[in-house]
Amino acid sequence: MNRTLQRLVTYGFVFIGAVASIFPLYYMVVGSFQLKTDSAFSGLIPRPGNLGLTNYREVNKAISLLPSLGNSAVFTLGTVVLTIVIGLPAGYALARLRFPGKGAVAGGLILVLVLPFQVLMIPLYILVVRDYGLADNFVGMILPFAVNATAVLIFRQFFVALPDELFDAAHIDGAGELRTLMLVAAPLTKPAIITASVITFIGPWNEFLWPFLITKKHSMQPLAVSLGEYVSTNAATATNPYGVILAGACVLAVPVIALFLVAQRHFTSAALGSGVKE
Amino acid sequence: MSRAPRGGPRSKTLIGLYLVAPYAAYLVIVYAVPVIQGVRISMLDYVYAAPGADVPQPFIGLKNYRSALSDPQLRRSFLNILEFLAINVPLTVVLGLTLAAVLAKLTRMKTFFRSAFFVPYVTASIAVIGVWYFLFSQSGLINHVMGGWAPNPSWLVNSKLAMVVIALEVTWKQLGFYVLLYLAGVLLIPGSLYEAASIDGAGVVRQFRAITVPAVRNVTILVTTLALIVGANLFTEPYLLTNGGGPNGASMSPALLIYQNGVEQGKPGIGAAIGILLTLFVLLVAGAGRGVQWLFQRGEDRGPRRAADRGPGAASGRGRTADGGQGATA
Amino acid sequence: MANKRTFTAAVAALACTALLTAATGCSSGGGGGGKAKSGPIKIWYSNNAQEVSWGKATVAAWNQAHPDQQVTGEEIPAGTSSEEVITAAIAAGNAPCLVFNGSPSAVSGWVKQGGLVPLNDFADGASYTEARSGASVAAEYKSSDGKYYQLPWKSNPVMIFYNKDMFKAAGLDPDHPALSTYSDFLDAAQKLTASGGAQYAIAPAPTNEFFQNWFDFYPLYIAESGGKALVENNKATFDDAAGKAVADFWAQIYAKNLAPKEKYNGDAFADKKAAMAIVGPWAISVYGSKVNWGAVPVPTSTGMSADQIHTFADSKTVSLFSACKNRQTAWDYLKFATSQDNDGALLTTTGQMPLRTDLPTVYASYFSAHPEYTLFAQQAARTVDVPNVANGVTMWQDFRNGYLKSVVFGQQSTADWLHAAAGTVGSDIAK
Repeated sequence: MNRTLQRLVTYGFVFIGAVASIFPLYYMVVGSFQLKTDSAFSGLIPRPGNLGLTNYREVNKAISLLPSLGNSAVFTLGTVVLTIVIGLPAGYALARLRFPGKGAVAGGLILVLVLPFQVLMIPLYILVVRDYGLADNFVGMILPFAVNATAVLIFRQFFVALPDELFDAAHIDGAGELRTLMLVAAPLTKPAIITASVITFIGPWNEFLWPFLITKKHSMQPLAVSLGEYVSTNAATATNPYGVILAGACVLAVPVIALFLVAQRHFTSAALGSGVKE
Repeated sequence: MSRAPRGGPRSKTLIGLYLVAPYAAYLVIVYAVPVIQGVRISMLDYVYAAPGADVPQPFIGLKNYRSALSDPQLRRSFLNILEFLAINVPLTVVLGLTLAAVLAKLTRMKTFFRSAFFVPYVTASIAVIGVWYFLFSQSGLINHVMGGWAPNPSWLVNSKLAMVVIALEVTWKQLGFYVLLYLAGVLLIPGSLYEAASIDGAGVVRQFRAITVPAVRNVTILVTTLALIVGANLFTEPYLLTNGGGPNGASMSPALLIYQNGVEQGKPGIGAAIGILLTLFVLLVAGAGRGVQWLFQRGEDRGPRRAADRGPGAASGRGRTADGGQGATA
Repeated sequence: MANKRTFTAAVAALACTALLTAATGCSSGGGGGGKAKSGPIKIWYSNNAQEVSWGKATVAAWNQAHPDQQVTGEEIPAGTSSEEVITAAIAAGNAPCLVFNGSPSAVSGWVKQGGLVPLNDFADGASYTEARSGASVAAEYKSSDGKYYQLPWKSNPVMIFYNKDMFKAAGLDPDHPALSTYSDFLDAAQKLTASGGAQYAIAPAPTNEFFQNWFDFYPLYIAESGGKALVENNKATFDDAAGKAVADFWAQIYAKNLAPKEKYNGDAFADKKAAMAIVGPWAISVYGSKVNWGAVPVPTSTGMSADQIHTFADSKTVSLFSACKNRQTAWDYLKFATSQDNDGALLTTTGQMPLRTDLPTVYASYFSAHPEYTLFAQQAARTVDVPNVANGVTMWQDFRNGYLKSVVFGQQSTADWLHAAAGTVGSDIAK
């Protein structure tokens, strides 16, 4: 009886939260199918007469969706891969090893997080374009995002949280630090790696300003940029400007939500079980 | 020091350097130069000169800082950030952890619920802002429901409420991300801990307070730090939701002022000075919250020492694994 | 503590690298000077659909005739961010030769960056500019050193668009609405909102972006003052009876809730939430089929006759950038693209008004075929743009902040604000 009540309260709580969270998606999806924007409350309930694919057709006509998605994929996956390859070992070293300059690296990491992009943007742009010569180049596009600082922080925090005993055991077994990292630590932080990848993915996926600045060739623009440009200039001439914007937002959101659905399957509480239980 | 000294401290140092070197190099190549450049710019009467153009950029010391600080809008913007943090941080921590703890235990519709909270975080700002506008505008849903109780002036143009609405919006938008962080932390807690506590007769609430909260202390530090950083970088919401930091600067943010000065008005010196001040402000706030300490320490102080003590006789001996701390000795 | 020391040392080391990079960065580049060269060039044009099709056609026509001086045209985004993109491109040294979308308010900044080439460098630079737009119009676009860093290209003179259906529903004359005086305008506005047909009479963006002044206070001030810019001879003009009248007019609009104090998310006029809008001729193609619209000049306190009214030009200019190597080709292309034929093509494809003398007569056949544009063409003869002063954006931003506080939110008397703002504007442009 107590159990049932508990479960009821629990599900009630998450259900209300979930509804509040899903509302914008609902609003976005409904709005994207509306032929005419209905900003009144009644507009929340889709009316069959006012629904259609016009907004999507207009977006598709204005932007070549597939190549844009391809550019987004290169930009985003490049960032995720580099974040894991470079950021994971760095997070591990910051969490569990001592070496000279550690404070400087940790301080640099925090500074990168703290500094508003508005401060960095123009010096960074000049550096990447003028000094490194990377305009209209995927390397230049990826560079500022390449190692996501939040992800490094996440790695560090989760390596810190792992019990010492694990590492001691590995060391006694004769594993070096690198093998310890690869064989012991990394698999255990699977939820952290997935979290970090998802977080890293979202940044470049939705980013407008930087890829927009760095690419002058339209054939190189990621979807967020093509959409953003379309919205800022031509959407006003569409039959339903706000609906077109929402349709664009939907196209942009779908891959991320799909990715999350896939990723969250790998969240299991058993991750640590085998390693520590005994 | 419980780490095994295999290979001696020297090789360990080397390994640390090897592992961190690519990241350090990255920081230098991509960030250090522009950051130092930013500091330099903040002390110059700087112009984004074209290559080869002969443009004088005299050193003017702290003049940019003085003119930035003499702007009442800037002082207001820092107070706004404090107000934002006072609402956002407690809400984020409480809701984020509670939801994560609950989500970790769900057996039905796990995928649905876990994904649901994540939706606002991935949704493009323009759509999210549209939704909040729909809720909080003068003729919005909230005022509609409140009828005669609706605030006057309305939420977004009310100097006392604009920042509150923004803080709620950001909390709500970011929550999914923090839930995700907490969830990853909560899932690292061995189930055996809860089983033991449960056998000892601890209820759900006690288990939560005695096991979950201390075990994810590291995540909480991370979440608090990230929330502080998000607050300091606040830009889109005041720009789009409250008419550009309105009304009368009641929701003005330092990042928006940086954009106005450094980019729009072609005064990069002042923009950079605000950026440096903002960075100092964040470090100050973080320092005040003891957040900086963990940065420079490795793990010595990280676990909650007395997780087991506070628990209802929880898991003597077994408790140590929850937090990786040295509280309980093996 | 040891860690802190390492950190400081690291920062010091990094500072050296930065300074080195900066030093080498400064010594690179250069170029230009001496005789202007010919060869392939790159240009940018705005990326709204109409201007893109004009831009592509013009480039194609040029390229066919000049195989050795190929022009590559690319789109840049219009709207709020294109000025920033150009600023960044100047600093990075990768600006194109010509940008067909410059904002006059940004030009003084680009000149300061050393990013622009004065058209006076070409033998016929000044004479062409003055002959095309007329010497008095061209003079408005001269920089403080007396040179032309921009060619006044096209204007979008703003007028009041109104929704005929809403006017009819509110019992107002849809064909000849009384909107010329402030009291007429306010009466009409009240009837429109009282009838329930329109949520708002008009909905200028009450946001604090610096350029929003150009679509509420400024056009009405230009009209009321008989064609004064915000600043003349380095002095603020608006702390006078005309400025007061305009500020009070808008203050009443806001006090009576005839306009929203919140930003409307979308286009209030297109969504039929607002019965009127302040827009340029670009709006004809945008609203053309959606709204049953009419257009009248902006109001004045006394109801000046339409042929006396000045308004905001909202013009765009073309500049030649210092990163350009083949400047002779760039200049030749600029003249080609702003020739009578290509200006005519611009008018017919975009509906925007080339800044040429005698616009209505040169393209008479177009205007007789498209009478809806005639009104704008006539208005184009009496326009004022933003003053060409240093720190223009700062000036507009300070002006905007005060306007919102005083006029929109009523927290300061309009007289006090105008007086204080005149002082602030004066010191902004003096810096």
